[in-house]
Amino acid sequence: MQGLGIFQSAMTDTYVLADAPALLARARAGDLTAFEQVYRAYEVPVYNLARRICRTVEDAEDVLQETFFEVCRSIHQYRGDGSLWGWVRTIAASKALMRLRRNKYRDADEFEEELHRAPRSDSGLRMDLEAALERLPETSRAVVWLHDVEGYTHEEIAGMMGKTVSFSKSQLARAHTRLRRWLGEEPAA
Amino acid sequence: MSHLTLEQLLQLREPGLEPGVFSLRAHLAQCAQCQMEASRLDQRSARLRALPALRPARDHWSALEQQFKVERRRRWLRRVSLIGLAAAAGFALMLAIRSANHLPGPSKQLAIDEAMARSRQLEQLIQSYNPDARVTDGRTVRVAGELEDRIALVDEELEAANRLDPRGRDAQVLGLWRQRVGLLNALVDVHMTRASAVGY
Repeated sequence: MQGLGIFQSAMTDTYVLADAPALLARARAGDLTAFEQVYRAYEVPVYNLARRICRTVEDAEDVLQETFFEVCRSIHQYRGDGSLWGWVRTIAASKALMRLRRNKYRDADEFEEELHRAPRSDSGLRMDLEAALERLPETSRAVVWLHDVEGYTHEEIAGMMGKTVSFSKSQLARAHTRLRRWLGEEPAA
Repeated sequence: MSHLTLEQLLQLREPGLEPGVFSLRAHLAQCAQCQMEASRLDQRSARLRALPALRPARDHWSALEQQFKVERRRRWLRRVSLIGLAAAAGFALMLAIRSANHLPGPSKQLAIDEAMARSRQLEQLIQSYNPDARVTDGRTVRVAGELEDRIALVDEELEAANRLDPRGRDAQVLGLWRQRVGLLNALVDVHMTRASAVGY
């Protein structure tokens, strides 16, 4: 990572690209080596975000490619108002959510999926966080990841998902309720 | 007051002061069980943030690079075609002005009428295409805008020419109407080329 001139801030969880203005100038001029540097810098966080939201590895890989293709096409629209990573991340999140919609991961599917995945008999089940996160319905998982990990507000998540703020809040609560149960952290009665 | 629900604990983490937050905070401040729940919630979020990053199994750069090159080539071809159209329009204007000066009087009036009719046809064609209601890329907008600006200039010159002495007016008016037709032809080409490129 450091060889690419990028470091991750532990406090803000943002990726800062060294000498970003010069790199952007080269990218805007069509320099593909500059685009490759941007790709190398953000490849892992973009893929991680996509993989946490999407159901399959293949979907996450598609989101990775679509995101950087969009970055290349739209690099002239990035004005430098926010961080480059913030801009790239929003493109990635939008692409991943679009992929969810395209694949028709709807609430009805989730409800059916929940019936199969989380029967009442698992109340005594305890799993690790990675497995519990993977087990969440897609929408809930996307919301909890975007809110708790990526730091988006409910307003921003609602905007990206084309839903209401209340929807985002209720999905977050549903996600935490399930995680709490599956991680064996429910309060004593 | 009963213990706080998960929804209420989540509500307390949000910025801003929603109705009822003060009483929730007051309860949290004096309830050990809710404090433990809030702490677990915070820890859960922290553990989510600390999960290891998942990495792609293979390198996607070479595929992306190919996509970029294809896209760049496609853009270049479109740019060249639009510049070519604009140049052709300019050349047509020059020919129109030259030929107008060599026609006799009655023929000039006939030619003016023809040019005006052709101009109306082209305007109707553009109106029926309704470019304002379509998604258009920046380059097309710019070229179309330049052509429309030049048409507006021609219209101003036509207005001024109509105020001239009729004896020397026809040649100039005919030249301007032919310019106008040439520019409208170019404008139609710009819109239609763009339309075929995006599959309208």
